[in-house]
Amino acid sequence: MVAKGRLFGPGAFNQERIVLATAIAIFAVASFALPGFFTAENIVTIVRSVSVLGILSLGMAVVIIGRGIDLSMVAIMAMSVAAYLQLLANGMSDGAALALVLAGVIGIGLLNGFLVAYAEVPALFVTLASASFIFGYVRSQVIGADAVPVPRAHWVASLGSVQFLDIPIEVFIFAALALAMFLFLRFTKWGRFVYYAGDNPVAARNAGMPARPMLVLRYVISAMFAFIAGILTAASLHSMNTRVVNSTLLYDIVLVAVIGGIGLSGGKGGVRNVLIGAALTGVLLNAMTIIDIPLIYQNLIKSTILLAAIIFDGLINPRDEQTAQQGDI
Amino acid sequence: MEPAEARATEPVIRLENVSKLYRGVPAVKNVSFELRRGEIHALLGENGAGKSTLTKIIAGVVEASSGRMIHNGVEAAYANPNAALQAGIAMVFQETSLVPSMTVAQNLYLGSEKFLNRLRGIYISAQQFLQSLNFSVDPTAMVETLGAAKKQMVEIARAVHHNAEVIIFDEPTATLTPEEKRHFFALVRRLKARGVSIVFISHALEEALLLSDRITILRDGELVATGETASFDREKIIAAMVGRTLSAELYRQRDEAKIRKAGRKVLSVQDISMGAAVRNNSFSVFEGQITGVFGLIGSGRTETFKIVSGIYKRDFLRGGSIELDDRPVRYVVPREAVKDGIVYVTEDRKSEGFFETMSIAENLFGGLLAADREQHRIISHAEMHELSREWSKQLNIRAINDNARVVELSGGNQQKVVIGKGLVQKPRIVIFDEPTRGVDVGAIAEIHQIINRLADEGLAVVVISSYLPEILNLSDRILVCRQGRIVEEFSPTEATEGKIMYAAVH
Repeated sequence: MVAKGRLFGPGAFNQERIVLATAIAIFAVASFALPGFFTAENIVTIVRSVSVLGILSLGMAVVIIGRGIDLSMVAIMAMSVAAYLQLLANGMSDGAALALVLAGVIGIGLLNGFLVAYAEVPALFVTLASASFIFGYVRSQVIGADAVPVPRAHWVASLGSVQFLDIPIEVFIFAALALAMFLFLRFTKWGRFVYYAGDNPVAARNAGMPARPMLVLRYVISAMFAFIAGILTAASLHSMNTRVVNSTLLYDIVLVAVIGGIGLSGGKGGVRNVLIGAALTGVLLNAMTIIDIPLIYQNLIKSTILLAAIIFDGLINPRDEQTAQQGDI
Repeated sequence: MEPAEARATEPVIRLENVSKLYRGVPAVKNVSFELRRGEIHALLGENGAGKSTLTKIIAGVVEASSGRMIHNGVEAAYANPNAALQAGIAMVFQETSLVPSMTVAQNLYLGSEKFLNRLRGIYISAQQFLQSLNFSVDPTAMVETLGAAKKQMVEIARAVHHNAEVIIFDEPTATLTPEEKRHFFALVRRLKARGVSIVFISHALEEALLLSDRITILRDGELVATGETASFDREKIIAAMVGRTLSAELYRQRDEAKIRKAGRKVLSVQDISMGAAVRNNSFSVFEGQITGVFGLIGSGRTETFKIVSGIYKRDFLRGGSIELDDRPVRYVVPREAVKDGIVYVTEDRKSEGFFETMSIAENLFGGLLAADREQHRIISHAEMHELSREWSKQLNIRAINDNARVVELSGGNQQKVVIGKGLVQKPRIVIFDEPTRGVDVGAIAEIHQIINRLADEGLAVVVISSYLPEILNLSDRILVCRQGRIVEEFSPTEATEGKIMYAAVH
């Protein structure tokens, strides 16, 4: 019976169930206790808010499974789209602006990956630094104000109102990206390599896997996902507010990944864990908003949950079970 | 009896029937050992003979499982190295325990600083102290800027500064140049003149014979010989080091008719170097036979073959060449070597061999994917399980099912997984580094069978081992590595444990 639940290795199995049960429990309690929670409108809101967060978490998941972390995702998301919208406002053609911004996004992903893989700087510092670089550069050199509006009748603006079966388009995009990521991680060679590299980077390298190019690829993927999430955010809000870079969104992304059971020690978890983590986070955030808990208390609650999830993760997925060697005899 | 009288006759350290078990495996068995006041005592033995463990027990680094230690006539057991140091026993490790970002003087006074510590004050007293020892080390120099010999001097000075009456050196000369060695020997003699008792672990027999007053030889954790240095010579020491009673059945001598002839030369290494570990090393490897490589720790055998398999980069500027089928190769990453059919099976399977959270099937399949022999863009999980069934059967890997995590398996099965992960890559040259380390006796026989089968199938096989019977039992050709180079080649018919050990020690 053990075999079923652990296609991607064990550990994630129990946590997944606990989190899923918690999400369902909160959902059930909120449905009864909170007026206006269990309405079609609110559920669409939940799914919609979770979609953008989920897309970001998919990108983060790939990096974390490979034993890294990308703290520059929110900066890439906000600043790339803000720059895109500003270039349009400056009168650049849509194609040229999109190409320029996409090149920038991929460039940042390559740079992050290059510094981690080849210069061997810890991912934490590389992505932290590139996040403030991107924010500082775009805010000071490209855009004039904190928020950049979407031009009237632009495709990003109309994207926001596209619905299918009364469900907004970002839900479908999230589903499509989740499916694509699932297929990539599960059925492609490079997807499998992510797990090997996350489990034991030295063994992966020695076995002849292309360890460093793979690492770069993961940061490019996370940058691309951040850009897509940014476009969807701009589509639903009709503008891109760059203050989001200094918000707690980054912690929400890590929260979704870790709470879903993607161990920070690498090699564990998958798309299913992101979906479960996103479900719990989405229900929780929505319920807190409906109860009208002030934002600062929401942050307190979220950070407590994140801390608990990381501690729990550390307990069930120890980074190294026994580095203590028995010594030189 | 007067205490002073007792001190004069009583040895500084006396161990009585000391044993140490690591997870039930004895590293030291019932050893009784005496260190006399003011003597230099050399402790000799093969890798894994128990030398380090024995001295670590004295210095409080590890705790003995049974037996007792008498220090200056009083039974003592030190809980940690610091307690031992306070009691006058200091151990100088192979890797120094100094703080690299502090100055020499700060290191000397580390742990004994006053509440208010004036740097100038300690520089002056350190200067005076180092001069009294006749050490030419600048007390204001940062430790990280010092060479190996000077670091050792600081370690020794620190031991003397703590009034250590016993100083234990673990392989002190391994990293020293000949010039530095002479300084070191002079220093040890000066310490002796001050009445300090010295234990000196070494692989270098000449040094032991030259320097020591008495010699103790360990083998497989047991004390096999002890006595005045004058009563030993090189031959006698080697005989004591290798003489073996155990496992005669598992490791029997090779039948002459069964020695495989060398096939085509596949690998030719000329003059490669890497730092101090590998120095102008040259050798060849042939198809259809097992090339055994023997060397003690620090002889550069692992480093040499990690260079061959692309894991380490050699010093390209210092010249040399590696030729595979007469074609020069220059690997920067292991991937290139794997694609060319060179597989290295590591000696450290946990940290660089297997993927611990993954199943046997995933581990084996990882090897296949990495080698890229067939273009696997899309993964078939059925194929993975098929591969796992086939190889688990071939290598006799025993687990409940192939979803069992590798970290849960026994050492022998783990080693077979690591071997299997390499063999699915369809290599032409397989390098086994300590293939039976930490493996139970039954699995040793099976792994030896696997290795023999590979050579029979025509592969070029290299077995690196520091266990002589393994080398003698498997090899069709024996290379001995010493100080970063292959120094001698034997055929299995002429080789004996004594001859090989003679070539391996310096």
